[in-house]
Amino acid sequence: MAKNLNIEVSPLSRVEGHGDLVIDVKNKKVEKLMLRIPESPRFFEAMLVGRNWTEPSHITSRICGICSVAHTYASIKATEAALGIKVNEQILKLRKLIFHHECVQSNTLHVYFLAAPDFFGAGSVVSLIETHPEVVNIALRLKKMANDMVRIIGGRAIHPISTVVGGFTKLPTEEEMYQMKDMLKAAYADLETSLKVLKTLKLPQFERETEYLSITDKKDYALYDGDIKSSDGWIIDGKDYLSKIKEKVVEHSTGKHCWASRDAFMVGALSRFNNNFDKLSDNAKTYAEELGLKAPCYNTFMINIAQFVEIIHCIDDSIKLIDELMVSGLDENKAIVSVKPKAGRGVGVVEAPRGLLIHDYTYDADGKIEKANLIIPTNMNYINVEKDMAAYLPLIIDKSEDEIRLAMEMLIRAYDPCISCSTHFLNVKLVNN
Amino acid sequence: MSINTSNSTEDFIAKANYKIIGFGNIYMSDDGIGIRIIEELRKANFSDIFDNVAIIDGGTSGIDLICTLQESDKVIIVDALDAGQNIGEIVKFKLNEVSEFSGRKIKSFSLHDLDLGEVFNLMKSLNIRPDITIIGIKPKLVDYGEKLSPEIEKKIPEILSRIKQEIIK
Repeated sequence: MAKNLNIEVSPLSRVEGHGDLVIDVKNKKVEKLMLRIPESPRFFEAMLVGRNWTEPSHITSRICGICSVAHTYASIKATEAALGIKVNEQILKLRKLIFHHECVQSNTLHVYFLAAPDFFGAGSVVSLIETHPEVVNIALRLKKMANDMVRIIGGRAIHPISTVVGGFTKLPTEEEMYQMKDMLKAAYADLETSLKVLKTLKLPQFERETEYLSITDKKDYALYDGDIKSSDGWIIDGKDYLSKIKEKVVEHSTGKHCWASRDAFMVGALSRFNNNFDKLSDNAKTYAEELGLKAPCYNTFMINIAQFVEIIHCIDDSIKLIDELMVSGLDENKAIVSVKPKAGRGVGVVEAPRGLLIHDYTYDADGKIEKANLIIPTNMNYINVEKDMAAYLPLIIDKSEDEIRLAMEMLIRAYDPCISCSTHFLNVKLVNN
Repeated sequence: MSINTSNSTEDFIAKANYKIIGFGNIYMSDDGIGIRIIEELRKANFSDIFDNVAIIDGGTSGIDLICTLQESDKVIIVDALDAGQNIGEIVKFKLNEVSEFSGRKIKSFSLHDLDLGEVFNLMKSLNIRPDITIIGIKPKLVDYGEKLSPEIEKKIPEILSRIKQEIIK
């Protein structure tokens, strides 16, 4: 192994969106390591100003094709909080149901299509078809099931249209509710097969304890709603996020970097698992145990396993939600509540598949946005990704350049970064001097 | 607000012979051309004029495109792409002609999880082979913005015309 690294990887494939990573190693010492974000999410914040209260959820759903439901609900919740709207239990349960399936859609995409090729030594999902066709076919079936769930409840598989401020413009039929339950039950065989395959994976052993942030709830494994919880021992109402979460624009990046109790924190599936393990379904807990995932877990590579465990939980909980909704049947009179614009500020906090997502809107008396602040999970993770890489690189510095390149890519991909929320064009450069 | 409990639209999409899928992000300037075309087709009640045609906003999710294509016979995909043509120039080709274009570096500008090239490779490997026609225009600007460049905007009628020609063929 040379003392200096001279590796250039461009682009870092299989990460949504684009960015720059620079690593500078001299005499086996990491001299420089940073993630550069050449563009800013400020565009969307600026674009929201002056918009009527009916518009932000549709606009922000387009920020990301993968997290469109999460942006839709962070936006709807911010608007409802600002306008003082309370929705009923039926609306809440339907929202949780559709929300679960963006998590299934996204986690499936990441675990099976974007991360699995690394762990099976296939260069891409296309190569994975040759070596592990069953994995690709399971992924497509799970993806289709989750897409169908989102389409039935939300009107469209991508960028759902029937879920709006105040409730739903269209409800699923009774037949569709039972159809969804059948689809969910049919997924278990594939999950069982996936478990057997995932048990054969050998994930890198790399631990770096950090602060884990997620939302939390007394009853649910919080995805749609909850207070913000830190593994460092505090819980706050989402609307008070600025009291704990700090953000700044750093010199080498126009994306915002965030920190809370320490100099870095992690958001996403592993943070949710660490903070809310006891709220997972019993079945999901069993899967976690089978796969060696125990809370608290400090191995970043286990994010992939936490995502799989969440798929199990979402399917289990969806069946429970459908059963609860069908006890009395869906009531069209409770599909939507009336909305009157008024001045006020509202914060919507949800768990996007990649982690905590915050929309903060201030409305004027006519129901038009005066100010908007969006904090996306990928931005929250940036400092932690850099710190992970700085800690991991010295451990593998004696490996070959190819191995180091792959290991670094896998570490970044474990975070499931969705840089397209904030930017485009990803080039990764490992520069030695 | 009225509540529609019918699922007729979804049934229609599932049964339609022809699917027209627009791809892209309307907030990334010219990358939004595919979605703008879908909006124009909806405004023109295109599905009413042509029987068995479903109009689909594909957003930016490449992997979801595979799920849609799995259930399709004939598909027209509209996207911003660079097949080596000039800015604003429209190209039309069948997916099975793509190997002929590979030397010309077809590149999608969309912010997809898997780009169009990866999606098509995956489809071939999975033996998902609907009849796919791709209509693409080379964008001038792919950056944050709500508007199409004038050079791209003025080509909307021509793209719509090409779609009609393809369907009545």
